[in-house]
Amino acid sequence: MVRYTVDELFHLKPTESLPVQFDAEEFKAIIEKVKQIQALKEEEFNAHGGHFNRRRSSHHHHGRPKVKHTKPKVTTDSDGWSTFEAANKKVNEDEESENVSVAVVPETLKVKPNNKNISSSRPADNKDIIADKQTHSFNAFAALESDEEEET
Amino acid sequence: MSVEEVTQKLESVAVDDNSPKTVLSDSSNFEVKHPLNSKWTLWYTKPAVDKSETWSDLLRPVTSFETVEEFWAIIQNIPEPHELPMKSDYHVFRDNIRPEWEDPANSKGGKWSFHIRSKSSDIDELWLRALLAVIGETIDEDDSQINGVVLSIRKGTSKFALWTKADDNTEALTNVGTKFKQVLKLGDEDKIEFVPHSSTGKYVQATITL
Repeated sequence: MVRYTVDELFHLKPTESLPVQFDAEEFKAIIEKVKQIQALKEEEFNAHGGHFNRRRSSHHHHGRPKVKHTKPKVTTDSDGWSTFEAANKKVNEDEESENVSVAVVPETLKVKPNNKNISSSRPADNKDIIADKQTHSFNAFAALESDEEEET
Repeated sequence: MSVEEVTQKLESVAVDDNSPKTVLSDSSNFEVKHPLNSKWTLWYTKPAVDKSETWSDLLRPVTSFETVEEFWAIIQNIPEPHELPMKSDYHVFRDNIRPEWEDPANSKGGKWSFHIRSKSSDIDELWLRALLAVIGETIDEDDSQINGVVLSIRKGTSKFALWTKADDNTEALTNVGTKFKQVLKLGDEDKIEFVPHSSTGKYVQATITL
């Protein structure tokens, strides 16, 4: 087996750079390109605060979201009585009344009939039962009397 | 055969001024090269920049060499380890062995490995020392236990690994591991581990620790 010690191999090292059997420039270019891509990725990573474009998960709330409520105004008079003043509510009431007036504006309302029993033999409304009731029963004597009058 | 023996042999063959020039007589226009014991291939693992790239896309042979002079020419023309991007690997493997566990020459082997947290300049020097020890065969046993050597560049650390063809020859593996520690300039407090490829990826268990 041919062996070379480290010193012997260093002794055989040419002082000048020698040509190689492969495209060293292309190899170096690939490595440089990879380094550039990695640098860009790292820059993007740092720009986003140490994480990539993660979508915000639905589990990011660790509690109920904070809703700011205005504190009610309480005034205390000279006798020591505290009075709750819902000043904002008054304004709201006015707004509500305006809303109500708007809601009263007449509109063309489409009445949707209840078709639930439309194919049934049962009347849809009890009033219909009364209306359909036969109000005049047949009177045979009355009918005979009328025939006699006609003959005379 | 040492380099001096090879040189002496060449000089003894030479009888006149027309004798072939070696790197020792003319470092740029030499005609005779110093042969290595084996043909070696330099492989490079490119870091993945696209999710579609597979391992086979990333691992590519760069070039091969069979002489000391060819080796130096390659070393002078490729980036040094500290110039490599993160997640790069250099592999130098014997003959046509692929630097993969699946290669038949590696399937029954294992590797000595050591992680170094060190300055980039030190990594360059240690990688060169490891290469010289491997291609010069001074780290190997007479029955040739070594298949190749790998350098993995990672963030904040570099991993040196020496791949062997067998995982059961404890005496030979211990000798190789001891020399590997010397090449990497490790002290007694530094521990290197030998892990068979068969256990890698499942339950990694070192069989020898030095």
